[in-house]
Amino acid sequence: MTVLLTLFDLLLTLTLLGLAVVTLTSHEPRRAVILFIAFGLLLALVWARLRAPDLALAEAAIGAGLSGALMLAAARRASGRKTSAAQSRDAEDAP
Amino acid sequence: MTDQLLYAQLLYGGSGIILVLLGLWSFLVHAPLLRKLIAINVMGAGVFLILVAIAYRGIDTPPDPIPHALVLTGIVVAVSATALALAFGKRLDQDAEPE
Repeated sequence: MTVLLTLFDLLLTLTLLGLAVVTLTSHEPRRAVILFIAFGLLLALVWARLRAPDLALAEAAIGAGLSGALMLAAARRASGRKTSAAQSRDAEDAP
Repeated sequence: MTDQLLYAQLLYGGSGIILVLLGLWSFLVHAPLLRKLIAINVMGAGVFLILVAIAYRGIDTPPDPIPHALVLTGIVVAVSATALALAFGKRLDQDAEPE
């Protein structure tokens, strides 16, 4: 029981830290936001493990869901602006 | 039993500290607003993890409720601040468009 719990703790923390590193080092905005949502869901699992089910529910609904949706809208706006800027630059480059 | 509790607190608290340092590094290095916001959110998650690890008292005893109340308030405040920053960024982009 104790060994299993220890293994679970190690797996959870290593996955959480690896997901944080991948999230913070991704260049594309949309990919970063989707990875951040996955990070929030894993954090909800961590809080269920640490005997805080209320925090787990709040994190999954608000922290991952709501802020993820807001950031996804912002990332879509940013990528659309980037592509439109690239299109206008291509139009300027064209003879 | 006490060793198990200390080990769990150290593991999760250390993960929280590492998350705070990672978020601080990313916030200082990366320029775009969305990446800075994600870095700040990861920093906040690290602080919350430290607090909940402090409140943890073993698998079969109830945890300290006061840090849990603080963290629950902190989640809501973090989402509100993120929404405000995204609104500011949208307005800044609108002002920068018609140049």
